[in-house]
Amino acid sequence: MFDTAPTHAPLVQMCDIHKNFGGVVAVDDVSVDLYPGEVVGVLGHNGAGKSCLMRMLSGAMSLSSGEILVNGEKADLKTPQDAKTFGIETIYQTLALADHLDAAANLFLGRELKTRFGNLDETRMHAEAKAALVQLNPNFKNLKDPVSRLSGGQRQVIAIARAIYFQAKVLIMDEPTAALGPSETAMVADLTLRLKKDGIGIFLISHDMHDVFDLCDRVMVMNKGRNVGTFKIEDVNKDDILSLIIKGTLPDDWTPRGETS
Amino acid sequence: MSDTELKAKLRFLPTGSALHKLSALITLLLLILAFSIMSSAFFSVNNGLTVLLQTSVIGLLAIGMTMVIITGGIDLSVGSVLALSGVVTGLLMKAGLPVMPAMALGVVTGGVCGFLNGLVITKMRITPFVATLGMMMIARGVALQLTGAAPISRLGETFGWLGNGALFRVVEMQANGFPKVIFPGIPYPAILLLIMALFGAYLLQRRQIGRHIFSVGSNEEAARLSGVNVDRTKIWAYTASGALAGLSGMVLMSRLVTVQPNEGVMYELDAIAASVIGGASLMGGVGSVSGSMIGAFIIGVLRNGLNMAGTSAFIQQVIIGVVVIGAVYLDQIRNRK
Repeated sequence: MFDTAPTHAPLVQMCDIHKNFGGVVAVDDVSVDLYPGEVVGVLGHNGAGKSCLMRMLSGAMSLSSGEILVNGEKADLKTPQDAKTFGIETIYQTLALADHLDAAANLFLGRELKTRFGNLDETRMHAEAKAALVQLNPNFKNLKDPVSRLSGGQRQVIAIARAIYFQAKVLIMDEPTAALGPSETAMVADLTLRLKKDGIGIFLISHDMHDVFDLCDRVMVMNKGRNVGTFKIEDVNKDDILSLIIKGTLPDDWTPRGETS
Repeated sequence: MSDTELKAKLRFLPTGSALHKLSALITLLLLILAFSIMSSAFFSVNNGLTVLLQTSVIGLLAIGMTMVIITGGIDLSVGSVLALSGVVTGLLMKAGLPVMPAMALGVVTGGVCGFLNGLVITKMRITPFVATLGMMMIARGVALQLTGAAPISRLGETFGWLGNGALFRVVEMQANGFPKVIFPGIPYPAILLLIMALFGAYLLQRRQIGRHIFSVGSNEEAARLSGVNVDRTKIWAYTASGALAGLSGMVLMSRLVTVQPNEGVMYELDAIAASVIGGASLMGGVGSVSGSMIGAFIIGVLRNGLNMAGTSAFIQQVIIGVVVIGAVYLDQIRNRK
């Protein structure tokens, strides 16, 4: 469409992705790609299919048809483990934390560190978790409390730490700042830019236009399961995006904003 | 004892269930104290060993039940699986198999029943309550059909060894030629219970499978998204519960030196009660083997003490029912504050 892609090879290509639940079409032949060091905003109404699309990339949901390429190779992402082996990490909107376990147990859930004898290496997991969490939030305490007792912000930090600890190449952030206060939101923005500099590709689902314009290089708008446009962020303004989100089309008089200004 | 001190002591517990466990332990000690005052025969070595022996069957069941309850499930089939395992062992021995392999196959039978429970729950997506209710009827029916509802007896002295033997039994020959038991010894079932409880606690607290069991019960979707194989974890828990039911079947039938196809009716409820009294939450994510052992001994001591005090079996049921509700109520109060 209108986007001009960066020159190097894409990290992720999602081609003609289709998902239906019985007769209900959730994602309708959507294609999108992601390059290293790029933040792509995925926008749309609730129920527009953006979370659904991202869940397929994170292996939490199967595709009805279409294919996903990671580094040019076809990736069959049947389970979340499959996605993780491809370096695709996800910060879920629900955070996906086991409430009765502590921060370290959650951070390493499914990928526990073990001693030589195959026992859980609690000491090392706690030390590593502490280092990872303090890096994101210097005030992080209560490492040994079950996460149900932690604040929304702390829980979010655990979910973020879990995604970046394992050296993600592709990061999916599903409304990462929804539960956060202003300072923590700024922290997530800083982090996003830092990860971007490290060459990580990021899909950012967000309803917050400030975040989108501050962080994204490109935006992709979904409406009723279809991709109604992928644009460089310079080529659109807030009204254009709102028009795409609500109507599914650009304003009638639209020309790429980047050229006019 | 301060709260933080307590927490530090039990810090590898995934939840703050320390308070519940402590109150259960205090309840147990109070019960022992009360019964000792009421009856002088209660607080004796012999009676203590009897309680150990009586509790070992429920205790073994409660270890597996706890694992299943932590995943957020329930296993109603253990009483029937216990009987079926015993029947299989009895029939194999009648067919000429020696005791050890026959008992091993009995435990395997229990494990297979548990494995089937796990398959039905994860692959057919049937709730644990219904799936294990079905297995409860199936296993009981098979056990009764195989034996024609008749007990299998004359299995030989070696069959009774596991249930009736004891370690460090000291017997002295008296001058008149009769043996005198100086120390009756620690019954093998109690030793078996201790080993299995330690092993179960080790698996739950120190191994990956235990961590996964807690995560599945705490938030199944989160566990799945984190890369935990939820189905495999559940199947593992039900298989363990089935195998432990098989093992407790061996202990019970061996103690009777007879295989009874109608043994173990309602045992699942005692095992569930033991787990719940010990702090396990039927909502999943909470529980411990040590708590369940305290729970099993509360039930065992209550039964034994009430028997010695001459309380009728019916009133005993009433009292145990009240204890179960009281334990869960305490848990609710703890969670509310």
